Amino acid sequence: MSTTAFFVPRTVEQAIDLKREHGKNLVVLGGGTIVMGLVHDGLLFPKLAMSLARAGMSDVRRRDGWLEIGAATPIARLAALKGATTLERAAGMLGGPALRTLATAGGNLFAKAPYGDMCVPLLAMDAELEIAGAGRRYTVPLEQFLSRRSLKNDELVVSIHVPKAQGRGAYLKLGRRQANTPSVVAVAVQAVLDTNGKCTDVRIALGAAAPQAVRAKKAEAVLIGRRLEDATIKAAAESAQAECNPATDSLASAWYRREMVGVFVHRALDELGRST
Amino acid sequence: MATQLATHIVTFQLNGRPHAVTVAPLTTLRTALREDLHLHATKAGCGQGGCGSCTVLLDNELVLSCLVPVTLVDGRSVTTLEGIGGPGRLHPLQEAFHDHFAAQCGYCTAGMIMAAKWLLDRNPNPTRAEIQMALAGNLCRCTGYVPIIEAIEDAARRMSKGVKR
Repeated sequence: MSTTAFFVPRTVEQAIDLKREHGKNLVVLGGGTIVMGLVHDGLLFPKLAMSLARAGMSDVRRRDGWLEIGAATPIARLAALKGATTLERAAGMLGGPALRTLATAGGNLFAKAPYGDMCVPLLAMDAELEIAGAGRRYTVPLEQFLSRRSLKNDELVVSIHVPKAQGRGAYLKLGRRQANTPSVVAVAVQAVLDTNGKCTDVRIALGAAAPQAVRAKKAEAVLIGRRLEDATIKAAAESAQAECNPATDSLASAWYRREMVGVFVHRALDELGRST
Repeated sequence: MATQLATHIVTFQLNGRPHAVTVAPLTTLRTALREDLHLHATKAGCGQGGCGSCTVLLDNELVLSCLVPVTLVDGRSVTTLEGIGGPGRLHPLQEAFHDHFAAQCGYCTAGMIMAAKWLLDRNPNPTRAEIQMALAGNLCRCTGYVPIIEAIEDAARRMSKGVKR
């Protein structure tokens, strides 16, 4: 291995300085669960590496009803949150216990499909990312970040901001085994129903159904203004199935994933329709 | 900031005693344990965090030592299988694994026992489902999961009765 330096910055500012100085030559580790695997496989030879584990980015705070999750917060910490949201469910179903100790919320945003389950509930909850660079900080919707991946050389994702969950949520994951497995598909839904049971707001997010987690917006449009009845749910599930773009890999074929997107969107909406 | 240029020294508590290793940047805890400190219970499996054979405790939390740069272990506390018991002073988990024939090739055993210890430290009387979920990250390619789970159930019983630990 030819890594010449491994930096362990103690503050976000130090981490940004290093990013500005070394740019793309600097490989960033959240918990190392993605990078170290690539290094062991001989697919990545970092000349310079940096861990964010000690940079003061591992806190979870509540502010004005929002949840602010430091980018280096371990997944295990999210799984132990007591907010009964789809975020905790997804965190608890990611990998095994030892992986959850290491893997981080921020790192998971950079995992390629079929990994990166955390993006699924985060998209459904309309999360934003706080990005810091030299002399600037700004937020960007997660959806925009996932589609454009436009981090500049000196920028880091420092935290994930999750608005208070509106309405009801569901998260379902299908894997080849019950735990410690990447997703065949993952589905998160967050929906607000009015007093007549009509859907006034809904977000459906799909994991492992495209190169990155995506919203199923045509399926969402099917649901708006309607009750979660069988025919509507069926139409939404078929729409999600049609608009997703899954890949074939060693876990599942694209055909099977597309079928399962339909099945699991259907099940998630069923679950929401039944819960009151 | 700890900038670790080229080879550097890392010191940490290993199985209750201070140790130091001199390592290159990005050397993993697994490599330091096996190749520098010659503790071979911790196994090198997939190197991807998928198999669990390198599982150890870091500050009493379960981690995959193949994914942890040992630089990040500086000043912390590591427990490996060698630290919980050995010949003549077996931990109840080790005794139970022996009694239940819970090892075939034995490659997964160290990781299984560390995951089981982590579980029993937090939950001395787990259900079968809780044991299964605690072991979710540990693969046994001999597929001898049933005796492993039975051994952990038995170890929990032995430990709750105060049989030597």
